[in-house]
Amino acid sequence: MDGLLIAIVSGVANGAVYGATALAYNAMFSTSKVLSVTTGHLAMLGGVFGAWFITALGVPAWLALALAIAVGALFGLLTELIAIRRVLARSDEHLWLLSTLALATMVSQAVGLWWGTEPKPFPRLIAQDDTAGPLDQKYWLPVLVALLLAGLLELFYRRTLYGKLFVAMSEDAFAARARGIPTDLVRAASYALAGAMGALAGFAAAQLTFAYFAIGLTLTLNGFIALAVGGLGSNPGALVGGLVLGVLSAVTTYFIGGEFQQTVAVGLLMIVLLVRPQGLFGHPDVRPV
Amino acid sequence: MKHSRPALLAALLFAAATLPWWAGNQYQLHLATLISAYWVLIGGLNLVVGYAGQLSIGHVGLLAIGAYCFAILAGAHGVHPALAVAAAGALCGLCGLLLGLPSLRLPGFYFAMATAAFSLIVTEMSLALGGLTGGGVGIAVPAFPPPFDTPQGFYYLCAGAALLVTWLTGNAARGTWGRGLIAIRDSQVTAQAVGVPVFRAKLVAFVASGIAAGLAGALFGALQSYITPDTFPFDLGLFFFVCIIIGGRGSIVGPFVGTAVLTALPELVAPLAKLGTFFYGLLLLVVVLLVPEGIGRLVEAAIRRFRPAREESVPVRPDLARLAAAIREGRG
Repeated sequence: MDGLLIAIVSGVANGAVYGATALAYNAMFSTSKVLSVTTGHLAMLGGVFGAWFITALGVPAWLALALAIAVGALFGLLTELIAIRRVLARSDEHLWLLSTLALATMVSQAVGLWWGTEPKPFPRLIAQDDTAGPLDQKYWLPVLVALLLAGLLELFYRRTLYGKLFVAMSEDAFAARARGIPTDLVRAASYALAGAMGALAGFAAAQLTFAYFAIGLTLTLNGFIALAVGGLGSNPGALVGGLVLGVLSAVTTYFIGGEFQQTVAVGLLMIVLLVRPQGLFGHPDVRPV
Repeated sequence: MKHSRPALLAALLFAAATLPWWAGNQYQLHLATLISAYWVLIGGLNLVVGYAGQLSIGHVGLLAIGAYCFAILAGAHGVHPALAVAAAGALCGLCGLLLGLPSLRLPGFYFAMATAAFSLIVTEMSLALGGLTGGGVGIAVPAFPPPFDTPQGFYYLCAGAALLVTWLTGNAARGTWGRGLIAIRDSQVTAQAVGVPVFRAKLVAFVASGIAAGLAGALFGALQSYITPDTFPFDLGLFFFVCIIIGGRGSIVGPFVGTAVLTALPELVAPLAKLGTFFYGLLLLVVVLLVPEGIGRLVEAAIRRFRPAREESVPVRPDLARLAAAIREGRG
């Protein structure tokens, strides 16, 4: 029974990481209509750089968090400048997929070469002994961060003028441009924002996922599955999708074994896409001809 | 350009046929065999990625299935290798069908993610089904029977398979199917409007690429002689994909040159081998940003600039006398 409880708690925590990754997907998708392959790698950068700042440079945890977020935001900005801006201007459907895939490969391999290809432990952020079981910080930190991110995003989009620029652009980029919104700038800002969000999520979750270069790909995939299950463009959907995916794979791991995690995740994706292609909270899109 | 093609082709064929004699050492022969085995897969994948424009980054999963199928049938069960190769092709074709049926209906990014997930699933399965695949320890792959058991003989087998795939895909690409696939790549809606059976065409191309991947898996496995799940990393699938994009979509020569260069380059230039997949990522980014049509297209454009095609003029000489006679007859 205790084992099942731990399994579910860790599933919720993993689900929160997937949900936070899906939030970052949404932030970039809303302004550019691009699903970036680099999304999961933002969280990977947060974890790896956080560990590096704390263990190698001896920086206090709060400063390491700020620096890791800065690294994520910078990488988000670079993604927009290198892989998105020129490619969107040329308006070929597939090219952004190729350019973000290339950038994602480069960053994950570069981190692998520099940081090493072995997962390394992430230091404790809050003093706590190892006997807390399901109440351990590695489980509730990512959940807290995912909820915080979703709440702050909602406030930002609804209550601030800058947030409304983002919303306007996600509704109709051409109309927004015609109204005098600097769309290139807003898009770049949204990528930096997504980078910061991803890095924060990765930093908070790194005690669970370890500082490991290969989680970027896993998170890109699972974050996308969470997004597709929840519905593209919906932030509550992203969290729910992440939760469903996390708990489902934790429970199957508990009962069947850990060998089929990816199979279960993809099975979930396929079932949702067949039954409800727009996702749980999404709107069916009209295909432009 | 046109008239130099057969000569170039003959020269290439001659070079490939005599390679065991002029290759400097066994290693270069091994490299040529590897390129041939890769090309069997990439040639098939080219129909999906280069022609139909469906971005599959997970074909390494099909390669692994083919290799394991060959190893298990020919090794553990003592099936004749030729039959085992056929079974590997058939099994991968079936897997391609099962993967393609749901995923080819999805838009681009979804499809790419589904194929990426498929290759991860295959890795998981090959670890989980230890009784069949040897798990993480791996499994030995038997060599082909004589005359294909020597490096030279095996090279000819792989080169022959590569030639066959090139010929088949070349034929398919030139015909109605190939035009239909290109139409799907350029605009799915337009293709549908002019009567291309979009889903069926994509599925046929995908299943064909699956069969090719199965054959390639058997050849690749026999070349490696021992396979573990680590023999088929996700990066290898990315490599296949990058070869096609860099070579240029909608061409056969471009991706072949891409395969040969990208396979040989890291082996011959040591610093690149250390960078490994990072180098492929960088190359992909540079090509996408600077020459999205691929390097092959760039070379063609350069050739055209330096050797402009002769302007062919067909003068129109109406047969005025006959016309006049016809008109007169009509009046009369």
